This record gives sequence, structure tokens and C-alpha cells, in this order.
Amino acid sequence: MQSFAVEMRGLTKKFGSFTALDNLNLNIERGTIHGLLGPNGAGKTTAIKMLCGLLKPSGGEGFVLGKKVPDRGVLPEIGYMPQETALYLDLTVHGNMALYGELFGLSKSRIAEREKELLAFVALHKWKDSLVSNLSGGMKHRVSLACSMIHEPKLLFLDEPTVGVDPELRAAFWEYFDLLKKTGVTIVLTTHYMDEAQHCDRIALLRQGQLLAEGTPVDVVKSASATNLEEAFLALAKREDGRS
Amino acid sequence: MNIHRAFAITKRIFRGLRHDRRTVALMFLAPVVAMCVFGLAFSGDVEDVNVVVVNLDNATASVSQRIISNFDEEVLKVDYAASVEEGVRRVEDGDYYAVIIFPERFTESLLMKRSDPSYEGDTTIQVREDRSNVNVANAITKSVTDAILLTAKQAGQDLPMKVDAEDAIYGKGAKFMDFFVPGIMAFVVFMLTTLLTLISFVGERTTGNLERLQSTPLRESELVVGYAIAFSIIGMLQTVVLLVIGVAAFDIMIVGNIVLAFAVIALLAIVSLSLGILLSSLAKREAQAIQFFPLIVLPTFLLAGIFWPVEAIPQWLRPLSYLIPPSYAVDATRSVMLRGWGIGGIWVDIVALCSFAAAFLAVAILSLKRGRR
Repeated sequence: MQSFAVEMRGLTKKFGSFTALDNLNLNIERGTIHGLLGPNGAGKTTAIKMLCGLLKPSGGEGFVLGKKVPDRGVLPEIGYMPQETALYLDLTVHGNMALYGELFGLSKSRIAEREKELLAFVALHKWKDSLVSNLSGGMKHRVSLACSMIHEPKLLFLDEPTVGVDPELRAAFWEYFDLLKKTGVTIVLTTHYMDEAQHCDRIALLRQGQLLAEGTPVDVVKSASATNLEEAFLALAKREDGRS
Repeated sequence: MNIHRAFAITKRIFRGLRHDRRTVALMFLAPVVAMCVFGLAFSGDVEDVNVVVVNLDNATASVSQRIISNFDEEVLKVDYAASVEEGVRRVEDGDYYAVIIFPERFTESLLMKRSDPSYEGDTTIQVREDRSNVNVANAITKSVTDAILLTAKQAGQDLPMKVDAEDAIYGKGAKFMDFFVPGIMAFVVFMLTTLLTLISFVGERTTGNLERLQSTPLRESELVVGYAIAFSIIGMLQTVVLLVIGVAAFDIMIVGNIVLAFAVIALLAIVSLSLGILLSSLAKREAQAIQFFPLIVLPTFLLAGIFWPVEAIPQWLRPLSYLIPPSYAVDATRSVMLRGWGIGGIWVDIVALCSFAAAFLAVAILSLKRGRR
């Protein structure tokens, strides 16, 4: 358990002449919750997609669980929750979960067990046999989260897991993430709710593809001599603009 | 290649269909409706055509009368006019499709010509048609010609030559429907499979499902194979429905091994779904995908030999027929069902379809992998 769960060394992604992610250096320790923060277009999603093997880096390298991405070998051990709903609307909640369970090679009984656990966690037990198309946006989001965890991944990439989730359930999510962390799971998530980032062990502030700051939430706030993360972000952004 | 993961995809497609009655209806009702509508519309002969007869032949017991009475009553609805001018005017007015004119002294001239071939009387029946509708006009000409031959035969003037096409080598007693059903089978499976996979894959891409799938151990090849299994089963089920209705309602002829026909259709389904996946990478939204519809439907409709043989297509267009996969499936299923050919007879078609399938599958898988730019 010496190596990091995720290592990014100069990770860069260009789409044509547009640089979505610029030379990102970041290490994420195993068993921690790491938040990627920043406004839209900061490069958070691009970074996660490269780590999940969905995009090829244009420069630098990324390592996931010790393997250089893209590497199919890490796929069974990671869970990915995309920003879009990414569910089959014409399937039931069970249908969606069973599909991903089967794709990860889980047995039928194991899928049933995991489904029970996860649906209890996202409070959707009663909706197991409902069509996803009949669920509300927030409910779909919870199903999506459950789907990405069906195979008990060691490393979870969650792209905006708490968007459209009500405050009560959001608190429950964070409790559950802490629980997962205690079992050794690493969670990498993106969010643009700055207040939420307090729950992360460490955060990385991204803006226009570049890393503004990295550290524990408290350290980041201190380094910008601000009182909260929102202020810190604005201060750091200003400082960066002044430099360039 | 892990076949369990491919099966998971197959299962997901069928699970989805269970909740999507509209698509299921499209899959199974559309082929039947298409078969019945096209089949009935195209097999119908021209009937009840209004024509005017101007009979200037004034002989008693005239030959012209006999010819008129020999007109096929189902095809021609005969009316009379006293003069050529009046007959022509009625056609000009659009109420009649032709005026059929028997010249003066028609019977007399005929009789004279029999004894003296050099006699110069007029024995020409003039048929002045409204050829704005070629099919109708041709039916009129044929009907008049047939009536002349029949009249001559009744008068003991039969031609000493004869054609007998009764004892066919293949397709003895075949009707239009027998010819048509194998064609419409291939057409429907090709069209619906291509369109449904096209739309389905555009959906996979836009909803983010494809990305989520690609973050699991599922390989692109397994995804495509999963789809292939599902859609070849659906294609075969569509074929079963068409055949059952074809036999029950239209009494179609099935001479050969029907299993072989199913295999050809399954192969065509695989070609079609690969094409659908390929096209899906060119469309960003469902609305764009719909623009491919005419591109898929029209060439197939016109050039694949479904309604008319490839021989009826101008020579310079024929090479295009050979670029359209359904052409081979139409040819193969028709050979199996009507000629009773086995695999030895249709191996060229099978090889062609397999080549299309292999090439399209490979490119489809590549196009999915290219998503991981």
C-alpha cells in the first residue's frame, strides 16, 4: 500500500487547439476522499475520463492503482459515475444494476445482495422494479451512483455525485463515503459546491485546465488568506490572472 | 472476448424491449403491414379501364363484333361512340383511356385478304391511347391483341406456333407474392435493424451510457456481439412472423430449406446492425440520425431486387446493386424459398454477406474505440 491510488504527472489533454487540462501534477493517497473543485470547464471531468481510460492523454502520464492509464487491467477495480445520468431509461432500477453487475462478472446471488445494500443506502428500495424513466432527476442520480458501486470498486470516480440530491440525502451520501473510506476505498469526486468540499480529506482547485491549489481544505483556505473555500477560490483565481 | 459480457448486453436489449411496446410493435407490425400493402398493391393487375370503341365496320356477323366480345371483361370496360372524333374527344376529356377504332369494311377486307393477300383494304385496328399512364395503356394494347388472337383461334385461324410456359423448372405456379415475400423479408430486416441500432447507439452515446459501459471491463467487440445476438434473433423472429402470415394469408410457396433462409436473414441482420453502429458515430443527436433514413431506405428499395429484378435496372446502375448488402440476401432467400436451392446454390451470396458482415463489424468496433480519443 505504498504507492498512491492515483498519480498524475504532467497530465495534459488537448482537443485540437483547446487545452482542457494543462500539465496536472497530483497524487491521491489510498483510502482518502479527494475533491476536484472548480467551475465548469476547469478540466475536472476531462481528468477523470483520462483516469478511467475513456480519453487518451495528449501529454504526461496518469497512474491508477499503480498501472499507467489507459490500461484495461484497472477497469474491474474502479467505479465510474458519469456526469450524465447514463442509465437505460427503458430498464427498471434492477435492470440497470443487474447489467453492470453482469458486466463485472458478479454472480446472480451476489448481484442481489449488492443491490439490496446499495438501494438501502440510496433509499430507493421501494423503486427496485420501477422503470428509470419514471424516476425524478435526483432519484436517477442515486441509481447512477449505486450502479457505479455494484462491484465494490477499490477506487471510485464520481463526477458530480451530489447534483440534484436534496440536503438530507446529501448528508447521508457523505456519511456513506466516510464509511467506504474506512474500508479502504479511495474516492475521487468532482463538485462545484465549495461548501461540500469541507468533507474531503484533500482538495484540488482547478481553473481553465490548470491547478490553482492543492491540499487539505483548511490549508487551501489559509494559503489564500481567506475565510472559506469560495473566497479562497476567487482570491487564487485573481492572483493567477495577475501573474499571467 | 468474454461471451458472458456479450450476453449481458443481449439481455439488456431484450429487457428494454419488454418495457417498450411501441418499438416491439414497430418491429413486428411494420413488416406485416409493409408486406400486405406492398404485396397487394404491386400484385394487382390493371382492371376496369374505360375505353371507347368506334366500330365503323358495318358488316353483318362482323369480325369486329367478335373481337369486341372477346375483350377481357375484367380489364376493359367498353363504351361506344359513333364517330372517331367523338371517341377521341372522350379520351381528351379524360374519362376514357383509349379509343379503339375498327375501320370501315373491316370484316370484308379481312375476308378478301384471306383469299388474296395482295388485297389492299384496311384491316388495322387503331388503338389511340392516353399513354400518360403507361401501365394502363400497355394493358389495353395487350387486351386488344389477346382478343384478336382468341378470335382468330375461334375461327380456326390459330397460329401454327405456340408457347407453353406452364411446365416451369423453378417456381411452378408462382404468383407475385411468392416472388415478393423473400424480398420484403430482407428489406424489412435490413431497414429496421439498421434504423433501430442507429437510433439505439446514438442514444448510448448521448446519454453517457456508452462511456459508463466503456469504464467497465466490457470490450467494444463484446458490446457489438451482444447487439448482434439480439438483433439476429429479432430478425429471425420478424422473418417467422412474415412467413407465417405469408403462408396463412397469401399461401406463399416455400420449396427449400427454411432454416437456410433464416441463417441468411440473421447474417443480414448482423450486416445491418454494424452499419447502424457505424452511422451512429456520424450523428450527434437522434434528429441527425433520422436524416440517414432515406439514405438507407431508398437505394435498398430501388436497387436490391425486391420489387423488380436487377436485370430491370439500367446496366450502368447495376454495379450499385452489388454494393448493397440486401441484394445478396434477397437473391439467396428467393433461391432457397422458390428454387429450393441448398447452400451449394447460394454460397456466393453467403460469402458476400459474410464479407460485408466482417468488414462492417470491424469498422463498427473501430469506430467505437475511436471514441476513446
